Amino acid sequence: MSSRDNILATLRANRPDPAAHPLPPVAMLGDMDNSRQRFENALQLLGGQILLPEEGDTLATAIARRFPDAKIICSAVPDFEGTIRIEDIESPQQAAATDVLVVRSPFGIAEMGSIFLSEAQLNSLNSAAHLTQHIVVILSEDNLSANMHTTYLERPEFHTANYGVLMSGPSATADIQGVLIRGAQGVRSLSVWWE
Amino acid sequence: MKVKPVNHAKAAEEFLEDAPHLTFHDERLWDMRQKRDQQMHLLPEWQDLRTRASEIKEHTLANLPEYLEQFEANAKKNGIHVHWAKDGEEHNRIVAEILEQHGAKTLIKSKSMVTEECDMRAYLQPRGVTVTETDLGERIQQLDDQLPSHIVVPAVHKLVPDVARIFAKNYNTDPNDNSPQSLAEAQRMAARPVILTSDAGMTGGNFLVAETGTFVVCTNEGNADLSATVPNLHIATLGIERLVPRMADLGVFVRLLSRSALGSPITQYTTHFRGPQKGGEMHIILVDNGRSTRLGMEEFWTSLKCIRCGACMNTCPVYRRSGGLSYGAVYSGPIGAIIDPTFNERKYSTLPFASTMNGSCTNVCPVKINIHEQLYKWRRVLAEHHELPFVKREIMHMAGKLMGQPKLYRTAINGTEVALSTLPRFVLYNWLNPWGKHRELPHPVKQTFHSWYKQNRLKKDKAQ
Amino acid sequence: MKIGLFIPCYIDAFYPNAGIATLELLEKLGQDVEYPMDQTCCGQPMANSGCNSDAAAAEALFVRNFAKYDAIVMPSGSCTHHVRDNFDAIPQTDDVKHVRKNTFELVEFLHDILKVEEFPWAEFPHKVGLHNSCGTLRALRTASMSELGEPFFSKPMDLLSKVKGISFATPKRPDECCGFGGTFSVTEEAVSARMGLDKVRDHHQAGAEYIVSADTSCMMHQQGCAERGGVPIRFIHIAEILNGARA
Repeated sequence: MSSRDNILATLRANRPDPAAHPLPPVAMLGDMDNSRQRFENALQLLGGQILLPEEGDTLATAIARRFPDAKIICSAVPDFEGTIRIEDIESPQQAAATDVLVVRSPFGIAEMGSIFLSEAQLNSLNSAAHLTQHIVVILSEDNLSANMHTTYLERPEFHTANYGVLMSGPSATADIQGVLIRGAQGVRSLSVWWE
Repeated sequence: MKVKPVNHAKAAEEFLEDAPHLTFHDERLWDMRQKRDQQMHLLPEWQDLRTRASEIKEHTLANLPEYLEQFEANAKKNGIHVHWAKDGEEHNRIVAEILEQHGAKTLIKSKSMVTEECDMRAYLQPRGVTVTETDLGERIQQLDDQLPSHIVVPAVHKLVPDVARIFAKNYNTDPNDNSPQSLAEAQRMAARPVILTSDAGMTGGNFLVAETGTFVVCTNEGNADLSATVPNLHIATLGIERLVPRMADLGVFVRLLSRSALGSPITQYTTHFRGPQKGGEMHIILVDNGRSTRLGMEEFWTSLKCIRCGACMNTCPVYRRSGGLSYGAVYSGPIGAIIDPTFNERKYSTLPFASTMNGSCTNVCPVKINIHEQLYKWRRVLAEHHELPFVKREIMHMAGKLMGQPKLYRTAINGTEVALSTLPRFVLYNWLNPWGKHRELPHPVKQTFHSWYKQNRLKKDKAQ
Repeated sequence: MKIGLFIPCYIDAFYPNAGIATLELLEKLGQDVEYPMDQTCCGQPMANSGCNSDAAAAEALFVRNFAKYDAIVMPSGSCTHHVRDNFDAIPQTDDVKHVRKNTFELVEFLHDILKVEEFPWAEFPHKVGLHNSCGTLRALRTASMSELGEPFFSKPMDLLSKVKGISFATPKRPDECCGFGGTFSVTEEAVSARMGLDKVRDHHQAGAEYIVSADTSCMMHQQGCAERGGVPIRFIHIAEILNGARA
C-alpha cells in the first residue's frame, strides 16, 4: 500500500465519529467598520505608513520626497513612470536591485491594515514585492473590506490567484532579545498612497 | 539499551542558575502573554472565535481523510505536486529526491516545525545539500546547533551578546556588537546573496484549505516569501492536521493566530499559495509522522487541533523558568508535554510531570485544547505503562496504602516531630531534601488538628 | 444541614490553626459540624502523580467517613477539585456520587451556599495580597481568570471585603501559579522554588504585609520560599481572618 493510502486508511480507522462534530456555518464576527481611518490605524500599528500628498503633489513627487536616495524605482502600474518597468525585469533575482517598487493593490483590510498583492499586480514577478528595499502601494478606499471574515468571503482573488500575499506593514523581527525591528528580510518600509 | 527519559528538572536547574537569561526569558514571554491579553480585550468576540476555531478543527479532524483527498485533488488541479510521507524518514527522502531531480545543491528555507520533527537538515547535509535557515531566530539556532527553544520565537532564550558571538563566528561581525538592529542587518546582508543564488526554496505552512488546494504561510520577516518566490522550485511541508475545510474558515484562524502568539493583530505576511508561480514548480509534502495514530487516542486526539501559536508556552510559568531546550524535544512547553510522548513514550515520560497543571495554558489556547487535563491524563497513562521513576512509584504506592489505614496513618503523622522520625529514610532523602534545597521546611507545631479536636471538642462533648 | 469537616493532611500536621479557624467559623455561623476522626487524605497526591489505583484506598476511606453528611467542607481548593473532578479510582456508587456532589471548598461554601453577608467579629487592619490557588481559580472558578477576559469577580475577595480594616495589594501577576504543584514541588524543586520566590516577591513589592489564601499547601511552599529568600511577608489562611484573627 502506498503511504498515501496507508495514511488515509489509518485516519479512517482512528477518527472520532464525524456525526459528533458538525461543521459550523462560516463565521461572520467582529467589527464591520471598513473605514479608511480604521485601516490607517491598523496599518500604522504594524509599522506601515501613509504617503501623504502635500499641496500640488503627484505620486511621483511624493515618492521623490520620501525616497530621495532611491536610484531604481520600479513601476508595476501603468500610470506611474519609475526608472524601470516591472515587465523589463527578466528574472526573480534581478528584482533585488530595486530600491522602490510601486504597485497597485486590489483591496485592503481595515481590521488589519493589510494590503493584498498577487501575480496579477506583480506581472508574475512575485519576488519583486519582497526583494525591493521599499514598497509603495496604491490603494483606493473604495476597496477596503472590514475584517478577515468579510475579506475571505468577498474577495474572488483567494480562489483565482496562485500567489496571494496579505502584507501588513513592512517585514519585521523581534528575534534578537525581543527588540522589534522593522525591516527584517523583506521590505524595509511599506507606504500606502490613497487614490 | 533503553532510551533514557529527558531530565527536565536538571536542565531547568541549570537554566535557573543564569540570572540575566532567566529574567529576560521570563519577562519577554510574559510580555507576549500581556500583549495577547490586550488583543483579546479589544475583541468582544474573542471567546466566540475560540469556540468556532475549536469546532472547525474538530470537524476537520473527524473528516480528515475526505478533506485530505479534496485538498489533494484541488492542489493537483492547480498544478501542485502532492506527496505523502508517513514518517520523517520518508519525508526527507522525498525532499532529497525532488532536489536531486533538479540538481539542486542549495536550499533556503523558512521556519517549519515539521522539518525539525523529521530532522531534515541532518539528512540532507551529508547528501551534499546545503540548507540555510532564513528566519533570523531559526538561523541563530542553526548556527548554534540547537533545536528551536520556542515554536514562534526560536532563539528567545538568547541575549544580544549570544547572538553577537554566534554572528561573529559565522558572519565575521564584531563580537562586541550590542545592537539588535545592526545584528539583524547583518543577517539580512548575509542571507540576501544566499537567497539570490539558491537552487530551491522551502517553506512550512500554517493552514491547508481543502476547498481550494491552497496552503497558507504566516510569517513576519519576509523570508518565507523570499524562499518561495526567488528560486523557481518551491517545496512546502505541512502536517496533515493543518487542514481547514473552506477558504472562509481562514478568517477565524488568521484573526486568532498572531494575536495569541505575539499579541499583534496579524503577521506581517499572510501568504496564500494556490499553485506554482510563472516558470516555477511547486511541491507539497503532507506529513503524517504519528498524527494518524494520535487521532485514534481518545483522550489525546484533540491535541491535533494545535495551530502552533505558542501561547501556551508564553503563559506557562514552568516554561518561562526552565527554557524550551530543557524539554529536550522538538516541541516544548505545555503543548510539547502532551504531544511529545506520542513520538516516544519513554523518552518524554517526564514531560507531563514538568507542570503544576495550573491550567493557564488551556485558557489561552485559541483552539481550546484542554492541555492541563491532557497532562493529567498522560500521567495516568504513563503510570499504567510503568514509565514512572521507581522511587516515585514506590512512594505513591506506600502513601496510598497508608492513607487507607487511619490508625497506621495517625501513628505516622502524630505530631510533625514523630512524622519526621518515623517516615522511612528514603522518603526523607528523596522528598524532604529537595524541598529544603531552596526552601525552609514548615515549622513544627505543638499539636495536630486531630489531637486538638479530640481535646477541645470530643472531650468537651463527653463532659457535658 | 449536617456538615462533615475534612482537614487535609498538611493542615492537620503543619497548620492546625487554619483547621481550627475553619471549624470555629462554621460554628459561629451556626452550623452543625463534625470532624470524623478516621480521616486521612482525599487521594489527590497519588492521583496527580498518575498512580490513580494507589488513590483507591484513600478515596474509599473518604467516602466511608463522609457519606453520611449533607455537605463536606474543606479549607482546601485542590482537595475539593480532586474530589469533585477526578475522584474515580473507586467504583462510582451512590455514596461516592453523593460525596462528590456535596463537597465544597470553604470559600465557595460560605459564599454560594451559606451566602454569608457579614463577619461582625472580624477585623484585620493589614494590607493583604490574595493568592488564589490554581485549583480554586481555574477548576473551582471562585474568581475570574485573566486569560479569558471575563468580567471581574472574586468570591474570596467578596468575603474578605466584609472584614473591617482590611486592604488589598495588587500584585503584577495575580493569576500566576506559585509553583507548588504537589509532588512537582520536590520533583522539579528548582523551578518550583523559583516560582514561589517570584510569587512572594510580587506580593511583597505590591505592599502586602500578608499573603492570604484559601489553600494552605500553596502557602506552605510560599512561606518556605519567602523565609529562605529573605522576603519579609507573613501568611494566613482566609479562614483565620474571617474567624476574627487580628494578626
